[in-house]
Amino acid sequence: MQKPKILPDGIVIPSSTEYLSTVDSYVEEALARAGIDESVIADIAISVSELVNNAIKHGNKADIAKTVEIRLSITTGELKITVLDQGNGFNINAVPDPIDDQNLMREVGRGIFIIKSFVDELNISRGPQGGTCVEIVKKR
Amino acid sequence: MKLNYREDKGAVIIEPKGKIMGGPESTELHDLLHELIEKGKKNVVIDLGKVDWMNSTGLGLLISGLTTLRKAGGELKLANVTDKIQSLLTITKLITIFKSYDSVDEAVGSF
Repeated sequence: MQKPKILPDGIVIPSSTEYLSTVDSYVEEALARAGIDESVIADIAISVSELVNNAIKHGNKADIAKTVEIRLSITTGELKITVLDQGNGFNINAVPDPIDDQNLMREVGRGIFIIKSFVDELNISRGPQGGTCVEIVKKR
Repeated sequence: MKLNYREDKGAVIIEPKGKIMGGPESTELHDLLHELIEKGKKNVVIDLGKVDWMNSTGLGLLISGLTTLRKAGGELKLANVTDKIQSLLTITKLITIFKSYDSVDEAVGSF
């Protein structure tokens, strides 16, 4: 896959951080069209950027031949976003507590902690054809 | 993210713009800090007033910058921290690590 592909309810990108801004534009525009509050849009955009970074680096090991699929579902009750990679799975929670004093100067390991502070649910499963599927839900 | 910098009263003021989310351009800040240290410029203010938001990669860049400058005998300070970034610094307790100021002038004057 050479470039991002737009789906009816999402976007698929090659595994490169080069496409983070493409995903961000897609997600922020979709949420704005749905009338979501600006501050919530930023929280969700930050969360999606964390998940896509994880999917590229830890899931797909930056293999450009693999893809990351982002799907959105916006209803009157909630926003639901799923991020699916094509890797062999990774333990998304396998990081030391980032707010423990001895870990404060670590440069990495805050992504999931930040997402959990922004959303109501974070669910992790295996994708239908393998890979890690992370779903975040924000109530409206 | 776009990156400009200028100098004032012996300090370097770096002015990133946009969103700091971990794209290929993220290494620019890291490279710039090393370039400045090589030139003997170790007191740096990062003006965050025009940064829409950042994620954990952006926070990691700030920590890396702080560590790098302190090892070289300098310091990194933050100015014009927006509400969104202030909230991230609070959630992650990094508010206890960084010195932040309401304006660039205040930050520059603090060295």
